[in-house]
Amino acid sequence: MPEENNKSKEADPLFPSWLKASYEMWSKAAQAMPSFEEDGQKFQAETSNRFVEQWQKNLKLMKSFSKTMSEPESTAAAINAINTLPEIILKMAKSGWEAGFKTQSHILEKMGKIGRRAEAYKFDNLDQEVFRALTDIYEKELRQYFYIPQVGLTRFYQERFNEMLDKKNLFETTLAEFLSIIYLPIEKSFKVFQERLQEMAQKGELPKEAKDNYALWVKILEGHYMSLFKSKEYTDALHNTLEKMEDFVAAKNDALRDILQFLPIPTTKEMDELYREFYLLKKRVKELEKKVKAV
Amino acid sequence: MAQTKIPVDLILEKLAQSAEETQKRVSRASDILLSPLNTEAAVTPYDIVYSEDRIKLKHYTRSETAENKLKTPLLVIYALINRETMLDLQPDRSVVQTFLKSGIDLYMMDWGYPTRKDRYVTIDDHVNGYINNAVDYIREKNGIQKVNLMGICIGGSMCAMYSALHPDKIKNLITTVTPSNFDTDKGLLHVWMKNLNVDKMINSFGNIPGDLMNFGFLLLNPARLMIDKYVGFTENMDNKDFVENFMRMERWIFDSPDVPGETFRQLIEDCYKRNLLIQNKMYLDGKRVDLKKLTMPLLNFYGRFDHLVPPEAADKLTSVVGSKDVEDVCIDTGHIGIYVSSKAQKQFAPKIVRWLRERDKEDAPRQKAQTKRKSEVELQKPAVESRAPEPQNIQQPSLAETGTKTGRPKSPRSSRSLLIQKITEAI
Repeated sequence: MPEENNKSKEADPLFPSWLKASYEMWSKAAQAMPSFEEDGQKFQAETSNRFVEQWQKNLKLMKSFSKTMSEPESTAAAINAINTLPEIILKMAKSGWEAGFKTQSHILEKMGKIGRRAEAYKFDNLDQEVFRALTDIYEKELRQYFYIPQVGLTRFYQERFNEMLDKKNLFETTLAEFLSIIYLPIEKSFKVFQERLQEMAQKGELPKEAKDNYALWVKILEGHYMSLFKSKEYTDALHNTLEKMEDFVAAKNDALRDILQFLPIPTTKEMDELYREFYLLKKRVKELEKKVKAV
Repeated sequence: MAQTKIPVDLILEKLAQSAEETQKRVSRASDILLSPLNTEAAVTPYDIVYSEDRIKLKHYTRSETAENKLKTPLLVIYALINRETMLDLQPDRSVVQTFLKSGIDLYMMDWGYPTRKDRYVTIDDHVNGYINNAVDYIREKNGIQKVNLMGICIGGSMCAMYSALHPDKIKNLITTVTPSNFDTDKGLLHVWMKNLNVDKMINSFGNIPGDLMNFGFLLLNPARLMIDKYVGFTENMDNKDFVENFMRMERWIFDSPDVPGETFRQLIEDCYKRNLLIQNKMYLDGKRVDLKKLTMPLLNFYGRFDHLVPPEAADKLTSVVGSKDVEDVCIDTGHIGIYVSSKAQKQFAPKIVRWLRERDKEDAPRQKAQTKRKSEVELQKPAVESRAPEPQNIQQPSLAETGTKTGRPKSPRSSRSLLIQKITEAI
């Protein structure tokens, strides 16, 4: 540190000299340019434009700034500021890095939790719990990233696009769960079928035709499906999947509407409004037609 | 030496035999599938005599040689799901052709394919708009006061609504696989619809996509409709007739127009969720649908194995109407089998012709004794059933199982027709 202070002090005599040289340079530059006062209206009429005007102003500003800075008080303050500059930059950098590290560690921490949430479910008992866990993880840990507030002119477009992605993800997770439920009877029917075959083999009644085996299996499968379809779990999954699909379709339509607005294509919303008006008008015309006919 | 419990030698022998047969079948099938196939449905000629928006009124030309032509024309109203071509699916199983040969002057409503612009069309627009206009057209054209009306599935429900609101225009009413009591948990559709968020669905889709509904119908019995059906097809794909009929059916099943959003909303809210129709609490354009005003003769068909409109959903209608001339007919088949199965061909359309003929004479006295309720009719076999009855598929066993249970080898033709029948029953 003492060495650094010495270096700063060594720079002290250089700074006032640089300021003086700077002032002289801007003064000469200003003098070199023909001024309005010197050449009067003639020059102004010939060369006056926005660029020249701005240039003159800049030179004047730099000249006055250099003059002010050449004063001893200002020079001393500037030297002082230069000496503390590295410290300020270091502080700024430190706080910036700290914020960055905090955000990163927060994200990493959240991502680390993704797997942990699944522990609450007993995967051994019901396989579809895996899908529910995935849905839960998505809803609680990932979904929020699609709802980070957007800013600026395009915020609404971005929001609708993000919502579409979110609804798509939700639909896919529920669809996966639904398909897993639909697949369950197939899996179970094979197990039962194997047991039946085992029983029949022990009794010596094993079907000799492949067709008979198939008929047995399909009958078991049908029975399993009928039991499944009557269950509340299935009905709930069906409705949930349907609702998520509807949400996705609606969000997709909203996002598409933004794109269509840039093209010379009417949006579904606009067409629906038109259809409604058209429908009501047509109905009125038909009623009036009937009244006229009856008269 | 003790006999082995697992006849491995026999099983292997059968497997080898089966592989050889499959190879031959695939070879024959490739010839058939690559050759021109006649899979056109609804080939009976007709004229479009009236059209409005997307709907068309078909008029079929009845056979000139038909004896005892019926005086009163019959208007058939199909459901809003799938298409009316089902009644004329193939020449030897065509309700349309049976009607025409029997002297019925037949009109049929083609609902067309609703587009987005139809999303605000309501049940009232269908009933008091399109159906009413079609009925008026037929009345005017024929110079008559009343027409005969026949409805299929939801089309039947709409016919019941129409007849209750315009009893002066309907001579006889026939409802087939028609839901009137929606408060039942016997059919999966009824269970699933109870908690459906219909508003959200319509906001998202506008109209309800036909493919989405078809997917729902496939889920009612995936083992039969998504697996067994196609296994059956591969087993019979070397038979041209079978392939053509199968393809007709396949095309019909997936030819599913969208359902207008507002119509679907009212159907779910007023019927499936609140069951208003059977309680006489349903309103169309501010007018109450009072089933007591159904004072015309009523013939009500339903399928014993119908899982879309189970008997519990269909058999209450005759007990709540004002008419004394009512009859329930329960056929041992499914929702579509009632129209296209070989068994139903002998029971369904001929029964309607007889019933209408009995009531065609305007001066014919109303016979109080004709009042038949469900219990009586189910026990009473129609005249056509004096023939050898076909096996009843109460448990709906698979094709292979049915073939072995009888203890006698089934001919390929009988098993093929049985497969088609099973497909129709599974729908």
